Amino acid sequence: MRELRVGLNQTQKVRLQSALKQLEELSSRVSNSSTASVTVADTIPVNLEDGVLKGHGTTDHNGEVVATLCGVVERVNKLVYVRTLRARYKPEIGDIIVGRVIEVAPKQWRLEINFSQDAVLMLSSMNLPDGIQRRRTAVDELNMRSIFEENNVICAEVRGFQHDGSLHLQARSQKYGKLERGQLLTVPPYLVKRRKQHFHHLEQYGVDLILGCNGFIWVGEHIEANEDEMMQEKAFTPFVTRRNICLIANAVRVLSVLGFNLSLEVIIDTVEASSSSNLDIKDMLGAEFCVQTAEREVQRRTTLIKKKG
Amino acid sequence: MRNSVLKQVLIALEGWKDNPKGLEEGTFKTGDWLKSTRMVGLSTGEKHFIFGGIAQDLRSDGRQRLHYRPISVETGVIPQANGSARVRIGATDVIASIKAELGKPSMHQPGKGKISIFVDCSPTAAPMFEGRGGEELSTELAVALQRCLLGGKSGAGAGIDLSSLIVTEGKICWDLYIDGLVVSSDGNLLDALGAAIKAALSNTGIPKVNVDLGPSPDDQPEVNVSDEEFLQFDTSGVPVIVTLTKVGRHYIVDATSEEESQMSSAVSVSVNRHGHICGLTKRGGAGLDPSVIMDMISVGKHVSEQLITVLDSEISAAEASATD
Repeated sequence: MRELRVGLNQTQKVRLQSALKQLEELSSRVSNSSTASVTVADTIPVNLEDGVLKGHGTTDHNGEVVATLCGVVERVNKLVYVRTLRARYKPEIGDIIVGRVIEVAPKQWRLEINFSQDAVLMLSSMNLPDGIQRRRTAVDELNMRSIFEENNVICAEVRGFQHDGSLHLQARSQKYGKLERGQLLTVPPYLVKRRKQHFHHLEQYGVDLILGCNGFIWVGEHIEANEDEMMQEKAFTPFVTRRNICLIANAVRVLSVLGFNLSLEVIIDTVEASSSSNLDIKDMLGAEFCVQTAEREVQRRTTLIKKKG
Repeated sequence: MRNSVLKQVLIALEGWKDNPKGLEEGTFKTGDWLKSTRMVGLSTGEKHFIFGGIAQDLRSDGRQRLHYRPISVETGVIPQANGSARVRIGATDVIASIKAELGKPSMHQPGKGKISIFVDCSPTAAPMFEGRGGEELSTELAVALQRCLLGGKSGAGAGIDLSSLIVTEGKICWDLYIDGLVVSSDGNLLDALGAAIKAALSNTGIPKVNVDLGPSPDDQPEVNVSDEEFLQFDTSGVPVIVTLTKVGRHYIVDATSEEESQMSSAVSVSVNRHGHICGLTKRGGAGLDPSVIMDMISVGKHVSEQLITVLDSEISAAEASATD
């Protein structure tokens, strides 16, 4: 994963460290035993009489269950395992993902989605524009490249694992499909949490933001579903919209450098902070804004906790 | 130097008139680099977006055409070397190390030391660099760096003063081995390597040497290398490299790998503190109009002033924090 590095001066370093420390304290106050995070060699409290099953990332040491990985303890009935935080994306059924076509194969497209294997999107898992199921004809198969070509960025939903272990996707509605006129960002997948909404149309900016569960994030110009495609081909994105796209993309970059969860509210908050301080868009990736963002996150979480308490 | 390169360009353009295909097939024979950077697969929509951004002077990360990404410098990263530095430009990350060894000057230039530049692309930067995959790019980068920093074959117009490396004329000189390592690649490798070499040279200490010349001039002189006293290398004349990448009708500095995949050609200008051009290389298959090249050189010279200021302050900051 390509990562931005920010050069901090001495005061900025101190400020960032104190902000991160505060965040750490806040998170330890919130967490309880059910979402206990462990590091290597931490004891995992279990009731041995129940006959626990030691899963991934755990081992038996002097009669105690000990973690061998850093992460969060997960319990499913008797099974205890550690889910690592910095792991590759693990798809779940219904996830909205953004991926890139790497191969057009017979009756299917193969997509890179940041998973340990390539995902498969069957031609039959795509509905026709008016929502009718496809009929399996040879002509349809020959025209597959008119739908998606190699290197196209597309958005789809995880349908599930097939019997042979391959991952299948589906794109049965208008909102899924090819993404154009924008940029694709790659962030660690654990920063994108599963939510009700992953498609966001930011009306005030005229921008579409898709937070793919696999850590691929699309920021692009808003396109109405029924807009004429030929019309858009030639013209460039209007300057104002492009500015907004860059703003939002840089907000996402800053947040991912700091390792903060990417939710719509936080992204918009960062964008607004940058525009209210009249910052140049490129300076959003600079050290000062990075520290400011961390400090703002501390404030946000403190007020959240106060509200709850 | 500048004249001879321009002459080359002009000759190539003359040839193009007779044989328009020749240029497309790469008279400059530098298309390989272009090929290797093309691994970034972009859809037509994304390409169009990048083109539009460059045309509207607002690139994907909010920069304008002549803006660099933030640069950070770290010196003294390799303790075994005489000098080393690590430079990060955005997500591009390179390390340069300098090793000095005593050697014999060549017959043709008894008054000058020798410098060799090697570049290695680490497989951590991209999977395609594994095995021999990075060799082509490494050689291209090394050759470009030699052209930009060492001047012509005769050593004329060199950015690094070779005569300062001499210990005893005709007998002993310092051989500098400059090694560049690409740790992470996100475009603009040449500028980053150039900056890293500049920083590494300013970090370099060359041991003081005492020479006892024998009674007769044919004798091999006796050499004592001091372990304690080091001489600083004079880096005020070392140039910086500014690469102008032509995408569409405009050219940009500090292209990311996505932007580089869309380039038609790129001109790298190395400029020293006095605004003198020390070297020039061009890569990419497409030809350029001589007037465009002149324009690029003057823009490159202008950009280099800012780059030198930024780099100098970063290097001195890095040196200050290293001594703490």
